[in-house]
Amino acid sequence: MFFKNYRTVIFIGAVIAAALILLSYSLKYDSGMGVVKKLVLEAAAPVQIFFNGSIEGVENAWKRYIHLVGLEDENLRLKNKIANLQAELIRYKEGALEAQRLKKLLSLQEEQPFNFTAARVIAKEQAALSKTLWIDKGSAHGLKSGMPVIVPPGLIGRLTDVSWHSSKVLLLIDENSNVDVLIQRTRVQGIVRGAGSRGCVVRYISKIQDVQEGDVVVTSGMSNIFPKGLLVGKVSHVDRMDVGLFLQIRVAPFADFSMLEEVLVLTTGQGEFSEGKKTLK
Amino acid sequence: MIYYLLLPFLTILLVVLQTTVADVLFSGWLVLELSLVVVIYAGFRLDLMKGIVLTFLMGFVLDCVSGVPPGLFTLIYLLIFLLSFFVSSRIASEKLYLIALFSLVCSLLESLLLVLLYHIVSDIDMLTNVPLVFAPQALLISVLSVGFFYAMRKVEGLVYGKTRQSPQRTGTGRISAKA
Repeated sequence: MFFKNYRTVIFIGAVIAAALILLSYSLKYDSGMGVVKKLVLEAAAPVQIFFNGSIEGVENAWKRYIHLVGLEDENLRLKNKIANLQAELIRYKEGALEAQRLKKLLSLQEEQPFNFTAARVIAKEQAALSKTLWIDKGSAHGLKSGMPVIVPPGLIGRLTDVSWHSSKVLLLIDENSNVDVLIQRTRVQGIVRGAGSRGCVVRYISKIQDVQEGDVVVTSGMSNIFPKGLLVGKVSHVDRMDVGLFLQIRVAPFADFSMLEEVLVLTTGQGEFSEGKKTLK
Repeated sequence: MIYYLLLPFLTILLVVLQTTVADVLFSGWLVLELSLVVVIYAGFRLDLMKGIVLTFLMGFVLDCVSGVPPGLFTLIYLLIFLLSFFVSSRIASEKLYLIALFSLVCSLLESLLLVLLYHIVSDIDMLTNVPLVFAPQALLISVLSVGFFYAMRKVEGLVYGKTRQSPQRTGTGRISAKA
């Protein structure tokens, strides 16, 4: 009867007593509850692994997402930076190449006893019947028609049309171009005429003259237009045909006319190019 | 019977979950003590037998997993369960602000008991943790309890067809061991 009336109280008291005994026992013996605790931990371990794995997965995915969001911005920023740097690099390269070319021109300018005006090539006309260049200097800069145009180390043509701020250069390879030349080795004189894509040909050299492939052709200075000794090209082919009085000589110009970007115009008076006054060594 | 068979596993699941989630969310600073909220809920909504078994198991598993001397949380949870059980006749669990307040009190009581027991048993002064850890944790539990009680009321409604009334209204609103 007593137990029935106080069943609840007894039950509560027993449970609290059990908890107290458990606490006291564990504190006194520090046993850690042995087998029971091991069982709980054994059961908890897989759950812990599962939760840790899941949370780690979510955490990693989130971090990766955040990283990717950042990465996209960074990627865009870096792409812009690369584009800017590439543009800058191209500018620097162009600047460096231009500096090299101008240095060459300058060195020639310093070596030679002539007055030069440097000009930039602004257009090229390489049609079948016309081989000309446009440069960005004209009469305002002291240029006159007929002035020789050179690039290191020799002649490429002469000015034909000169306006105030631009001029037309008739290239050596134009079929209307005629220049007095001589074969450097044998001092034989002739006239170089343009032959378009085939380069140039030397005319009016007698068959009895000694001309060989590889001979250097330079200006003779006889026409009073070009100074003496400017490099024109090299003999690439000599044909001694049976018919005719003269040799058929082909000359390969020294310059690649398709790659010209800057040129020098010899502004020294035309009369001063005559032999005995100023010559190129 | 299924309740008693499943209870150990569910208890382990809950305790491990709360420690893992708390570790991620608060980096070990606070514990997301859902177990305490469950104990309070058990005090309000379960009958004595069911509630005491749940509380005992919950406390014991928490002791084992958290590494404190076995029996510490078991004793504290039992005291909190009994307090909840007797208070439940005076507080309606439908009034969530009262539940929040009571959970806050229970959490502070738990902290107080921990401080006292640690001081008595191990001579460790944990008073410095009160403003830094125990106070925010009490607030957190207070908020959690509101959500938990609300969710459980919905679950009870789904499982039993309608929400069981508080025991102080009818005296029969508790979920018994036979349910």
